[in-house]
Amino acid sequence: MRDVAVVGLGMHPWGKFPDKSVQQLCRVAVDAALKDAGVAWREIDAVAAASSRFSGGRGWGLNGNDVVDDMGATGIPVYNLSAGCAAGGNAFNIGTMLVASGQHDMVLVVGGEKMPKGFIQTSGVEETTDPEYLRQICIGVPGPTFWAFMCRRRMADHGTTEEQLAKIAVKARQIAVHNPNARFRKATTVEEVMGSALVSFPLRLFEICPVSDGAAAVVICSAEKARQLTTKPLWVAASAIATARFDDGIPRGLAGAVPADGKAYHSEAAAAVRKAMEKAAIGPDGIDLIELQDNTVFYELSFPEEWGFCKPGEAEHLLESGQTMPNGRLPINPSGGFISFGEATTAQGLFQICEVGWQLRGDAGERQVPNAKVGLAQTLGLGGNGSASILKR
Amino acid sequence: MSERIPVASGLFADTKDGARLIGSRCASCKTPYFPKVEFCRHPECRASKIEDAGFGPDGTIWSCAIQDYPPPPPARFDKPYKPYAMAVVDLTDGLRVLGQIQTDDIRTVKPDTKVTLVIDTLCHDDAGNEVVTWKFRPVAG
Repeated sequence: MRDVAVVGLGMHPWGKFPDKSVQQLCRVAVDAALKDAGVAWREIDAVAAASSRFSGGRGWGLNGNDVVDDMGATGIPVYNLSAGCAAGGNAFNIGTMLVASGQHDMVLVVGGEKMPKGFIQTSGVEETTDPEYLRQICIGVPGPTFWAFMCRRRMADHGTTEEQLAKIAVKARQIAVHNPNARFRKATTVEEVMGSALVSFPLRLFEICPVSDGAAAVVICSAEKARQLTTKPLWVAASAIATARFDDGIPRGLAGAVPADGKAYHSEAAAAVRKAMEKAAIGPDGIDLIELQDNTVFYELSFPEEWGFCKPGEAEHLLESGQTMPNGRLPINPSGGFISFGEATTAQGLFQICEVGWQLRGDAGERQVPNAKVGLAQTLGLGGNGSASILKR
Repeated sequence: MSERIPVASGLFADTKDGARLIGSRCASCKTPYFPKVEFCRHPECRASKIEDAGFGPDGTIWSCAIQDYPPPPPARFDKPYKPYAMAVVDLTDGLRVLGQIQTDDIRTVKPDTKVTLVIDTLCHDDAGNEVVTWKFRPVAG
């Protein structure tokens, strides 16, 4: 397999843009990524795109075709990739394989999204054969409540407090003050977060990411092409995807079996991250920063433990001692995370690649992780989809 | 006259021994399923032998939460909205299942509490009928 370089990063800021179409958002991100790479559109050999069910794609998830038509149809292959909220991460995975395998030399990976208002209904099917639909009508358990269950169990196991949950949101917003692409750029306080409405106890409004509009794009290429473009390319150390295991104990529908080991964890995320670390031959100690999918602040506590970055029950201590800040021992979400950006579902995986890229180039300004050499990006999506990519400089 | 209507058919029943969830179990690998399945989905199971199975009523709360804000459609509830407690319950017969908690004091529901399965009102439909679903009631001790 060939080495894969990351040479172009581009983003449209996250927010609510009622007057712009998803095509307009993607255009901004793609133009920025091409300009950053120093590459013209006609030099792109293929597109790997995240498929959305909320915007663009002509109802079929053909979001990559929308981009190609908008940029100028050159006849190149388009790979539309559907993986729920993990689609951006999975599209990046497909893109790297297109280059690594020698199929294509210069690939654009793109994800853009305009989200409907309010909490999203994860499943798009209203039939009693759909477990999520049944969960809604029989019990009334929307997405945030699913997170609340896991969080409440952690509180019982590790004594996590409501204040600690609030502190994670405070930390995210403290960082986002320095990120011009973030939607929520005003610092907040524990009091303000604790004073925000309870959505699903123990989780409050400011501890759950809202939906946003946004787009991000990345240009990747072969080492040979990269050398023609720049003296300092970034490299894809590894990219991996996985799906959930049958026995991981997370109640995704109405019911499952009580797990034999009593533990419940996102096996798709853990498997993707561990596979990526194995492929890259880089362990937790060799990773300088993590961009993880913080739909809720809870994941900033659970994920690092589930992936072996700290011991069970240690995450609260890392948070309280400032170790998850950009200048800490284990920087988590130096972008400000989903909590500060909101979730433009299928674009999130590429927003993460952009942030990790800017950090590794030393271009992250006030939120810079000092001397960052290796970064991990991770997403999670409906259907039990997980992705993880490790970039290095 | 108003009737008691199950929120979905074939999911639960009131028996003389109490409430039961109606599902399946694989006779080969003992994996429990709710709702029913046609084939065993356990990747290690070599021979799917699905049989009808009833689950409940005894269990323990693995974790719980409170639905503080009114859930979006298609969730159903009576107006004005009243927050309710929900839990993930580990039944003694091996099923981990979600359900609302039947209690007047939603803020006191805690993980590791013993519960029993009941059939209770979810909401009322436009004709005034009582729509029922399964719930869990905390038990003393």
